[in-house]
Amino acid sequence: MSTSRLSARSGEVIDRTKTVPFTWNGRSLSGYDGDTIGSALLANNVRIVSRSMKYHRPRSYMSMDYWDPNALLQVGDEPNVRSAHRRLESGMDVSAQNVWPSVDRDIKAANGLVGRFLTAGFYYKTFINPQRLWPLYEKVLATFAPGGKVDLDTPHGYYDKRYAHPDVVVAGGGPAGMAAAISAAEAGASVMLVEHEYGLGGHLRWGDDSDRAIVAEMSQRLIDLGVEVLVDSTVTGRYDDNWISIAQRSHPGVIERLIKARAKILVVAAGLIERPYVFSGNDKPGVMLSGGVRRLVNMYGVRPGSRAVVLTANESGDQAAADLEAAGVSVVELVDARNGGGVTAVEGSPSQVESVTLADGSTREADLLVTAVGWTAPTSLLNMSGDRPSYDASAARFFPSAPPDTVLATGGMVGDGTLDELVGHGTATGQLAAARAAVTAYRLQSTTARALPVDGPEPDWPSDQRAPLAHRQHPELYRSSTHGMVDFSEDVSSKDLVAAAAEGFDSVELLKRFTTATMGPSQGKLETVNTVAVLAEARGETIEQVGTTVWRPPYAPISLGGLAGRIFEPVRRSPMQDWHEAHGATPLVAGAWIRPDHYGDAAEEVRNTRRNVGIIDVSPLGKLDLQGPDVPQLLNLLYTNKWSKLPVGGVRYGIMCAEDGVVLDDGVTGRLSDNRYLMTTTSSGAASVWEWAENWLQTERPSWKVDVTPVTGAYASINVAGPKSRELIGRLAPELDLDPERFKYMQVRTATVAGVDNCVVWRIGFTGELSYEVHVPAGYALHLWLQLMEQGLDLGVAPFGIEAQRIMRLEKGHFIVGQDTDGLTKAPSTGMGALIKMDKEDFVGKPELAWELENSDPDVLKRRPAVVALQTLDPQIVPEEASQLVRGTTTEIIGRITSSRMSPTLGRSICLGQIEQQYADAGNIVTILLTDGRRIEAEVQAHHAHYDPEGERLRG
Amino acid sequence: MADRSLRSRRNGNGKGPERYSAWGLLRKGLAQENWPRAWREVPLRDTYDAVIIGGGVHGLATAYYLAVNHGITNVAVVDKAYIGSGGSGRNTAIVRSNYLTPEGVAFYDRSLELYNSMASDLNINVMFSERGHLTLAHNDGAVRTMRWRAEVNKLQNIDSSVIGPDEIKKLVPSLDTTSDARYPIMGALYHPPGGIIRHDAVVWGYARAADHYGVEIHQKTEVLDILVEGGSGPDGKGPGGKVTGVRTSKGDISAPIVVNCTAGWASLIASMAGIKLPIHTRPLQAAVTEPVKVFLPAVVVSGSLHVYVSQTDRGELVFGAAVDPFNNYNIAGSLDFTEGLAGHILELMPGVSKMRLLRQWAGLCDMTPDYSPVMGFTPVEGFLCDVGWGTYGFKAGPVSGETMAECIATNQTPKLIAPFALDRFPEGTLVGEKGAASVGH
Repeated sequence: MSTSRLSARSGEVIDRTKTVPFTWNGRSLSGYDGDTIGSALLANNVRIVSRSMKYHRPRSYMSMDYWDPNALLQVGDEPNVRSAHRRLESGMDVSAQNVWPSVDRDIKAANGLVGRFLTAGFYYKTFINPQRLWPLYEKVLATFAPGGKVDLDTPHGYYDKRYAHPDVVVAGGGPAGMAAAISAAEAGASVMLVEHEYGLGGHLRWGDDSDRAIVAEMSQRLIDLGVEVLVDSTVTGRYDDNWISIAQRSHPGVIERLIKARAKILVVAAGLIERPYVFSGNDKPGVMLSGGVRRLVNMYGVRPGSRAVVLTANESGDQAAADLEAAGVSVVELVDARNGGGVTAVEGSPSQVESVTLADGSTREADLLVTAVGWTAPTSLLNMSGDRPSYDASAARFFPSAPPDTVLATGGMVGDGTLDELVGHGTATGQLAAARAAVTAYRLQSTTARALPVDGPEPDWPSDQRAPLAHRQHPELYRSSTHGMVDFSEDVSSKDLVAAAAEGFDSVELLKRFTTATMGPSQGKLETVNTVAVLAEARGETIEQVGTTVWRPPYAPISLGGLAGRIFEPVRRSPMQDWHEAHGATPLVAGAWIRPDHYGDAAEEVRNTRRNVGIIDVSPLGKLDLQGPDVPQLLNLLYTNKWSKLPVGGVRYGIMCAEDGVVLDDGVTGRLSDNRYLMTTTSSGAASVWEWAENWLQTERPSWKVDVTPVTGAYASINVAGPKSRELIGRLAPELDLDPERFKYMQVRTATVAGVDNCVVWRIGFTGELSYEVHVPAGYALHLWLQLMEQGLDLGVAPFGIEAQRIMRLEKGHFIVGQDTDGLTKAPSTGMGALIKMDKEDFVGKPELAWELENSDPDVLKRRPAVVALQTLDPQIVPEEASQLVRGTTTEIIGRITSSRMSPTLGRSICLGQIEQQYADAGNIVTILLTDGRRIEAEVQAHHAHYDPEGERLRG
Repeated sequence: MADRSLRSRRNGNGKGPERYSAWGLLRKGLAQENWPRAWREVPLRDTYDAVIIGGGVHGLATAYYLAVNHGITNVAVVDKAYIGSGGSGRNTAIVRSNYLTPEGVAFYDRSLELYNSMASDLNINVMFSERGHLTLAHNDGAVRTMRWRAEVNKLQNIDSSVIGPDEIKKLVPSLDTTSDARYPIMGALYHPPGGIIRHDAVVWGYARAADHYGVEIHQKTEVLDILVEGGSGPDGKGPGGKVTGVRTSKGDISAPIVVNCTAGWASLIASMAGIKLPIHTRPLQAAVTEPVKVFLPAVVVSGSLHVYVSQTDRGELVFGAAVDPFNNYNIAGSLDFTEGLAGHILELMPGVSKMRLLRQWAGLCDMTPDYSPVMGFTPVEGFLCDVGWGTYGFKAGPVSGETMAECIATNQTPKLIAPFALDRFPEGTLVGEKGAASVGH
C-alpha cells in the first residue's frame, strides 16, 4: 500500500507552494505548510510511527486528531507530541518514541508472542519470589515505560499567564459553538471562543464546499462582532464558580500561555469524539476511523489506502466512503451496520491490514478498513461542573444530565440534527448565556461599591427555554463477536477486561485501576465507553447500570511550563544589600530575604563589635505598627506577659504562644505615643504574626479598636552595637538625649538621625552589648548606613553579618524561636517562666499552660524539655547542632544541642540545647553523642548567657 | 505470632486460593483460562462478630490480621463505594520510616517491615520499590532539622543520614543543585529504605487474603447509622454506651464490634456513635504527568517548596503537596494547586518544563491537633477507631491493621498504639510528630 498526496482538494488546508522540511528518525523529508506532522509523515509514505506500549505492535494513525492514541512522537526536546494534531514546522526533528532499535524493527515486539501470558495485571501475579530479585525485574520493567525522553537541559522557555473576565467562554468552535458565540456577542456579551484545533468549524472543516462557506461566513461575523477567538487553545479545566483555565498554544512568542478566565457563563460545545470499534486486529495499521479518513483526504490531500472496506453506522461513515471514492480509492465493500452488516476481524501482516472478515464469514481483500460506529461526548468540562452523564441506549452514547445553570452545553454532545438545527441550538444557547451573564453582571454591580448605581430592578434569572436537540437512533456497536483492543495506548484488550472482571475487578473504577484501561495519554476520551460496554457485557448488565468514570482536569494535558508561567519567586533585599555585596558580604538566602552572612571573617566581626562598634543590617526584622485604644488588650492577649502599664517610651520583650502553649514567636514592642505602638517579630515570623494578630482581631475580638499595619519594608533597621555605639549615635543624632539615666536600656525614642526625621531608636540588643537599633524610613536607609560608616571611622566601626550576630546572641544566651525551640516547645520550657503571667485574665495558650501546671504528674514533668546553656568539658570541641544528648552510656535520648559555636570572645565552644528537666540542673554533667559517633561530656550552665550573665555591658 | 503465609492455610472448603506465580500465568495462558475471583461477592448477612467500616488499606488489613493472627473470621468489611476508593487509592504511595519521635519511628518501622514482606505474605506483587527517599533542605535551619532527624534515626537503627549537594546531584541528576537557585539545595535527609509501592495492589492483596480466610467484603454498602445502646447522649448513644450494630444501605447488621477505619468521613461516622473526634477534614491534592522514560530514581520531598515527587515504573511523575489550608470535603482539585506545583517543580528540576500534567485529583485527610492518629477504644464499648491519619495513613496501613486486630482480639491496647489513644486529648499527652512536620511525606 502506498499513501501519497492526492491532487489538490477544494477544502485542503495545506499550501502546496510552500514546502516545509523536517526530519523523521534522522531522515530528511518535507511536507507542506498547513500539514500536521502526521499528515506530512503519511504523505511521505511513513505509516508506522509508533509501537504499542506492552506488545510493541506496529501502530499507525487512526483518528488524525489530538486524541489519536498512536500518534505520540518526540519532537526535539519535547516528548509526547500529538503528531496528528501538531502543525508541521520547518526544521522539526521528529522521532519515534519507545522503540528499539527502530520503529520498523522493534525487538520487544517479541512480547506479542507471549501476549496470552501477559494478561492485564500479570505483574501483580509474578515477580513475587524471590523478593530480592524484584529490584532487578523492576529495572527491566521500567525500560517498558512508554513516552518520550526528557532532555534535562531543556531551558525554561517563555511561558506566560493572563487573566480574563469575559461574560461568556465558549469551549469549542464547531458550528454550535460558533453560533453560540455569535448570538451571545450580538446580545451584548463579551465572549471568548476557544477552539482546540487550528481552525474553526469542527466537522465542517472536512465537509463540502457549502460547509466551508458557512464556516467562512460565521468566522467573518465573529470578527465583526469583536469576539476573541483563540485557536489551537484548549479549555483545560472548569473549577468552582466558573474559574476557567485555558491553555493557549497559539500566542506569538509564547510557548504556552495559561489564561485564567472568570466567566459568568461557560458554554460547552465540545462536539463528539469518534469511538473505535473492538474486534480482532482493530489496532493493525490500516484500520482507521471515518473522521480520520475524512480529515486526511479532504484537509491534507493524503490517500489513506488503495482498497477500502467501510463499516458504517452513520453519516460520517457514509461520507467517508464517498470521500474515498472521490479520491480514487476503491471502496470494495460498504458494510452498513444499520442493516445488520458487521465486521469481525482484519487479517494481514503485523504492520498492514490485508483482508477484512465480514460478519457473514466472507472476506474482502483490502488495505484499509474504515469504521464509523458511533460517538463519545467529551463531557469532561461538565463532569468538572458536577454533572454526571447519563446513557441513552437508543442513541448509543452518554449525554449530559443536569449541569449547573451557569454551565450550558450545546452542539453534538447534547443531541443530533441538521446543521441548521445544531446552529439553531447554538444560537439559543448563546442568547441564554448572554441573558444569564447580564443578570450575574447586575448582581455583581449592585453588590459592589461603584461610582454609579445600577439601573432598574434586578432582572429575573432566565429559564432554559431552548428546544432540545433530538437523540438520533444509532445502533449500539461496541464490540464485535471477536476480541480486540479497547485501550490502544495501554495495550488493554477486551479479553483482558473480561478476565479482570471475572477476577472480581468488576466495577468500572476497579477495572480501570487493575488493567490501566483509560489511564493513558488520552485519559479515556476514546476508550472509556468501550471499557464500560465490555464490562457491562461481562457482568450481564446494561451500560447504564455499570455507569462511567469521572473525568478529572485537565481536559487535555497542559505543560508544566505553561502552568508555572514566568516563574515568579521574588526575593527581598534591604536598601543596603548592594552595599553589603560590594563590600565582600557573602549573601545568604533567608526565606524571602537575601542577607549578608559575613564580610569574610565573622570572628573578627564579633571581636570588633565587642571592642569598638559594629553595625548590622537587620531590616527583615518583622515590624507591625499598632494604633488604637485597645492595643494594650491585644498585647495582653498575644503575649504571655503584662502590657497594661507600659509607659510611653517604654519597651518590653514578650513571648507569643499558640493555643497549645507552644512558642510561636518572640520580640520587643515599644510604646511610641499614647495610642501608637511598634511591635517587632522574628524575621521569619513577620508575615505569620501579622496574620495571627489579624485573625484574633477579625474573628475573635472584632469589637477591639486596633489598626495593624505591617511596616517591615517601610522601615529598614540597623543595629549599632558595641561599647562605642553611644558615641557614634550621638554624632548622628545630636538632638537625641542619650544620657544613660534618661534613655535607659529597654526604652524607645523617635528622633532625627543623620538628618532623617521620624526614625525610631531603640535601646535594645541581641548581641549583649550596649546597642541602639535605628528603624529608618527605608528610602534613607543607605544614607544612614553610609553616615554610620563615615562618622564611625575613627571609632573602628565595621559592619557585621548574620553569622557574627548568631555567635554574639549565643554568647549572650538568647534563644531563637524555631532553632532552640521547636513545634512542641511550650513557653515554660524556654526558661522564661517569669514572663508567663498566669494571673493575667487571659492570653493565647493560657488554658493549656494552666491545665498543664495543675494536672501533670511528676513523672511527666521531669521529662518535659528545658532550654539550657551547655559547655563541653573539652573547650575545643564544637558539637554539631542537632547532636543528641543521651543518658550515660546508653542510646536513650534525653535532649539535643540546638545551637553551637566556637566563641571568639571566650575562646571556647558554647551551646544551647534542650534537655529533660530531670537533667537540667546547673552543674550536671551530660553526654553528647557527636554526629561522628564520639561521646563527649558537657556541663549544664546556671544561666543561658555564657558571657556577661549580669548584663552589665548591655545596661552600661 | 501466627504463620501469616497463605501457603500453609486452607479456607473452609479445603482449598486455598489459586496462587499467583509465573508458573500459574504460564499454565493459565496455555489453557486460555481465567483466574478465579480475587474475592467473593456474597449477600450481606444480618450478624457478624465484627463490622469494619471502610474498605481501604486500614480496614482490609485489620480484617486480614484479625483472621490470620487471631482466627476471627466472621467479619464484614463494608465500603460505600469500592475497595480502595478513598485515601488508599488517592495517595502518592510513598513509604518511609525516618520519623522524629520514638513512637513514630517504632510504628512506621514495623509498617515498613510488613511492606517489605508483603509480596510473599499476601502472594501478590505490590511492587515495593525501595528506591531511596530524599527530603531536601533549602536553608541552614532545614539542614539542622534534617540532621536532627538523622541523629534520632541513627539511634533507632533507621538508615538515614544527611548528604550534601554533590551527593544529591549524583543520586538525582535532574535536580538543580547550583548555589544560585532561588531556593538552593543545601543538603538532604537521605533515607535509602524509603520508596514507593503500588497502592492499589496493597488493597487488593489484603482483600484477597482476607476473603480467603472467610472475611466478607461488601462494596457499595454505605453505613447510614451506628446502633448504640445505653449511652449518655441522645438516643442512647455516646460515652457509656455499647455498640450493637450498624445500619447500612443494604440493611441492618448486628455486631458487638464496629471499627471505624474511614478517612475523610471519620468524624461523621464517629458522630453516628455519639463520639466527637478532634478532627478537621482537609483535601490533599495530587497530580500526575504523562509518562516519559525513567529519569528520576528516588523520591524527592521539599518542605520549603511544599512538593514531593516520584516517578512510577510506568514513567509518570507523581506529585503531591501540603494539605489545603482550609477545611473542605471537596475533592475536585484546584487550578491554583497545579500552578503552584508546576512552579515549584520547575524550581527543583528546571528541565521538565515540557512535560505535561495529565490528571489531578484530591483525597481527604483527617487532621488531628498533633498530626497523629486516633487508634483503639472509644468511650462507646465495642466501637473502635483507626482514624485521623492525616496525610500519612497509607504508610501506616499494615501495622495499623496488625495492631487494631490485636486490640480487638485481646480487648487490650497494644503498646505500639497506646500513644495514639483518643483520651490523650483530654489528658494532654499529645504525640510529638508535629515537631518535625513540614510536608508529611
